[in-house]
Amino acid sequence: MVLHDRSSTAGALLGVVAIVFLVGQQLSVLFGLLNFMSVLVDHSGADAWVLSGNLRNVDAGNLISGRYLDRVIGLREVAWAEPILIGNGLFRTPDGSFESVRVVGMRRPRLVGGPWAFAQGNERALLDLESVAVDRLDLEKLGQPLPGTLTEIGGRRVRVAAVTDGARGFQGTLVFASLDKVKDIAGTPPGRYSAILVRFQPGADAEAALARLRAVLPECSVYSTADLSRLTRRYYFTQTGIGGSFGFSTMIGVVIGVVIISLTLYTSVLGRARDFAVMRAIGGRRWDVTVVVVSQTLIITVTGLFVGFLLLSVLLNATGRSAIPSYFPSFVPPILAIVTVAVSLSGSLIALREALRAEPAAVFH
Amino acid sequence: MARLRLENIARDFSDGRQVRRVLFPTTLELVPGQLTVLAGPSGSGKTTLLSIIGLVLRPSEGRMFLDEREVSALDDEQAASLRLQRYGFVFQQPMLIEGLTVRENVLLALGVQGQRPQREAVKKADELLTALGLAGTALVQPRMLSGGMKQRASIARALIKDPAILLCDEPTSALDAESGQVVMKILKRIAIDENRVVIVVSHDARVFPYADRLIKLENGAVVSDTTENYMAETKIKQ
Repeated sequence: MVLHDRSSTAGALLGVVAIVFLVGQQLSVLFGLLNFMSVLVDHSGADAWVLSGNLRNVDAGNLISGRYLDRVIGLREVAWAEPILIGNGLFRTPDGSFESVRVVGMRRPRLVGGPWAFAQGNERALLDLESVAVDRLDLEKLGQPLPGTLTEIGGRRVRVAAVTDGARGFQGTLVFASLDKVKDIAGTPPGRYSAILVRFQPGADAEAALARLRAVLPECSVYSTADLSRLTRRYYFTQTGIGGSFGFSTMIGVVIGVVIISLTLYTSVLGRARDFAVMRAIGGRRWDVTVVVVSQTLIITVTGLFVGFLLLSVLLNATGRSAIPSYFPSFVPPILAIVTVAVSLSGSLIALREALRAEPAAVFH
Repeated sequence: MARLRLENIARDFSDGRQVRRVLFPTTLELVPGQLTVLAGPSGSGKTTLLSIIGLVLRPSEGRMFLDEREVSALDDEQAASLRLQRYGFVFQQPMLIEGLTVRENVLLALGVQGQRPQREAVKKADELLTALGLAGTALVQPRMLSGGMKQRASIARALIKDPAILLCDEPTSALDAESGQVVMKILKRIAIDENRVVIVVSHDARVFPYADRLIKLENGAVVSDTTENYMAETKIKQ
């Protein structure tokens, strides 16, 4: 029946593909943006972050005193602690215009909180006081500064020494530099930092270490890296309208799919009402009719899932290294598949109701 | 072998405002080895009676027994299972399912409750198709067959389960005279040679000569029930 009733099958298939593709694409952008939100935290390599008190997200902290570094390092659970400083500045492009950038400064030589992947050069380039690293995805925006290009950020001379790969922040272009250079650019008071990144000793109890940090730094916010990442994502998700916007567009994708699936399956069943009546007359039970409709739906859904995920993978591969945020965590496809199956089955309910209405007596007319 | 007994079976239909009786209390006994024709004009109640006999419609009154087991009060699922086990149906239109081959349509009667047809069933389906003059059509789509061939395929679908009772609703009305005669001869043979209860509803007088028993209905009531050999009678009249 699936092969015979080609127009209905194609319609329902389109509905399933629409759900998988539209919802999948929306989710990939959402997860891509979520990654941007907490990109510095997720790639910091630290176990814990110390920030100013009453923090709402990693980008909204006040500066903290460098004296806290001594308190942190004094704990036996701590292997190392490194400050980072984040400021803003205007990047002078080769054509003389300016682009607003977020400058992340790391202390040499460990460079904790710095870039984690490079398209050109490496982290050693950042050991030089004047060197900065810009991201591959921002090269066009920044006027294609080649490695070695001398320019200015915040009126301070810098040299583009490396190009990072995939270091993109939610609040704009990220430029990595040394701590001293960022102090200079942002005009930060001496001995003040945005955060202190902490690595615990191997084998240390992370919860106990966090508790000790909180005890010695009562005026600060102390988070594990995972918790800070969640806090930041949740903040942007709920406070910027992204959650509502993506939730709405995802819902639209699902509704479009449900409507297409419902209408096409319903039309298909209407056209085959006689067949279902025959089935019932020759001994088919309501259960058997249900099995036929559900099987048909599942065959279409599984085929649609395959086609939808294939199209989605083509899209994700095509946009994966572009400036479009795109990330598809491995736990999403099974959930999307289960949701799609549930949506398809719910879309088939109207069709099933119609099929079950087929009276065996209708064949004797 | 099966024996059907109807005791004061009646049926009412309601349009929500008034109840209309379409079949008045009818008592009949239907036995194997006979081709019984239910005849009458449109609206006479013959299809309603056939539907009740076929367990696809419940009577409003009366009782029906199949081999002394009351079957008139079965629920939908029990009735469906009994239809699957004991009944075969031939409809006015062949009602073969497009998209399935002729053989798959025939086997549908066995697999309608989800059973996978065994290899012997496939062999039997092909033998039935051959016996009904449809050799070589097993893998053909129904749309490729003529009206008469489709109706014979639907007879094969009805017979694949070896039903004790074969119910046929106007099986020749959509066929030309020659195809209609072929179908009636087949039904007659099934009734006599295979000792089944075969009931044919028809208002086509060309069917009557094949009847071993002719039950005429008018306005919802049986007006005559004759068990003469109508084939012979017609020949005599001719």
